Amino acid sequence: MPMTEDLRRSILQADVRLSKYNPLSRILFYDDFDEGINGWCELIGNHAGNLDDIRELSKDFRPPQLSSCTFFDIGTHGSVDGTYSLKLATRAKKNHVAIAIKRLTYTRRGLVQFETYFTFKTEQTFGAESGSSNWDGNIAPSEKLFGDITFSNDICDGDTGARYMGAARYLNTDHEGNMVQKWMYKTSVQPTTKMERQGITPPNQDFHTVSPDDWREISGGHQPLCFNETASKVNWHYLRWVFDTEHRRTTELQCNDIVMDLSHIEVPVYEQEYHGIPNLLNFLVDVRTHADVRNFLYLDSVLVSVDW
Amino acid sequence: MLRRSFTAVLEKNSTFTADFATEPYETGWAIEARWFVRILEISGENVELTLTPQISADGLFWCDEGSGPLKMSASLASIPLVNFGHWLRLDGSLTGEMPRVKVLIYLALKG
Repeated sequence: MPMTEDLRRSILQADVRLSKYNPLSRILFYDDFDEGINGWCELIGNHAGNLDDIRELSKDFRPPQLSSCTFFDIGTHGSVDGTYSLKLATRAKKNHVAIAIKRLTYTRRGLVQFETYFTFKTEQTFGAESGSSNWDGNIAPSEKLFGDITFSNDICDGDTGARYMGAARYLNTDHEGNMVQKWMYKTSVQPTTKMERQGITPPNQDFHTVSPDDWREISGGHQPLCFNETASKVNWHYLRWVFDTEHRRTTELQCNDIVMDLSHIEVPVYEQEYHGIPNLLNFLVDVRTHADVRNFLYLDSVLVSVDW
Repeated sequence: MLRRSFTAVLEKNSTFTADFATEPYETGWAIEARWFVRILEISGENVELTLTPQISADGLFWCDEGSGPLKMSASLASIPLVNFGHWLRLDGSLTGEMPRVKVLIYLALKG
């Protein structure tokens, strides 16, 4: 190993904030949400000035929040190191999704690695709604009220080149509230405003896919996560997702101790040309509820690194 | 270090025909806040929108913050807040006959 690489690793390992991450050769950005919002904003559907023209599914992705993870029973939980995390919150409405996005462009094609420490919770409910009558003292009834989380991107090869969006979804429950706890990949493109306005696809129910059924299990992707028995107990999970903009692939997904090979999975590419987005490199995170209960996704911090 | 600021759009061209409250929003990091409400359309007889800022310890149970209420029937209105704790929402109540109001609601935070 070259001496410069040894030195680099030593510096990273001695940095109390970065040593919990495994960055590629260049850190593109490191977002500690104790420092602010860091460019993560609400995704909104395309429009030309009239907000009424936004597609129904894409007009209410909710503004992200800087959260202290404060709950009614224990007060403030805080984040991994510090007080604040980035919080996405759905409405208390079945199938509602909250999406935050960070927008960049790339200077070269190659590997891009997204890392984060995340946790997920369901808003505390009370009385009959909480499901506490059948509570066994261990499994949180609210865990069954948490829908899914998706990490995704939006890439465009140069000017009017191929556009594609990779996605990795953690499906906690199905739409009937049964526990699934599996990582999924998608098999169709995300219908765009252009596709809908030109009649190529009907309005979609799942933001990421043409049909809600266009998802498949990632091999080896069954992974119960640490919801930890109560709606206010926060345990953070490590996630690492790698994609390759040279070969238009997602290559690897790691969550805690499970590493999933994605390199054989084809990422759907749009048939249409898209203008005005050369070298697009967008990062998205979202949370969707499957019940009439608010679902929350929290990111302690995000580190994105590249090999270029 | 410059102060942090953030504007959240809590409602975008949303139409209400009955009383409503905005979604809970965490504000623990902010020192000052300001609600902006822009009425895009309003219809009915003698319709007024009354805005009341609300606060919460946990994002679940709410009480009035003490500012306002502010009545509006057109254009743009704003309510400044300080000492509001960790959660904010805006309560909107509609009076008049067959009220219908279409609004944009912003929460501008600084800390």
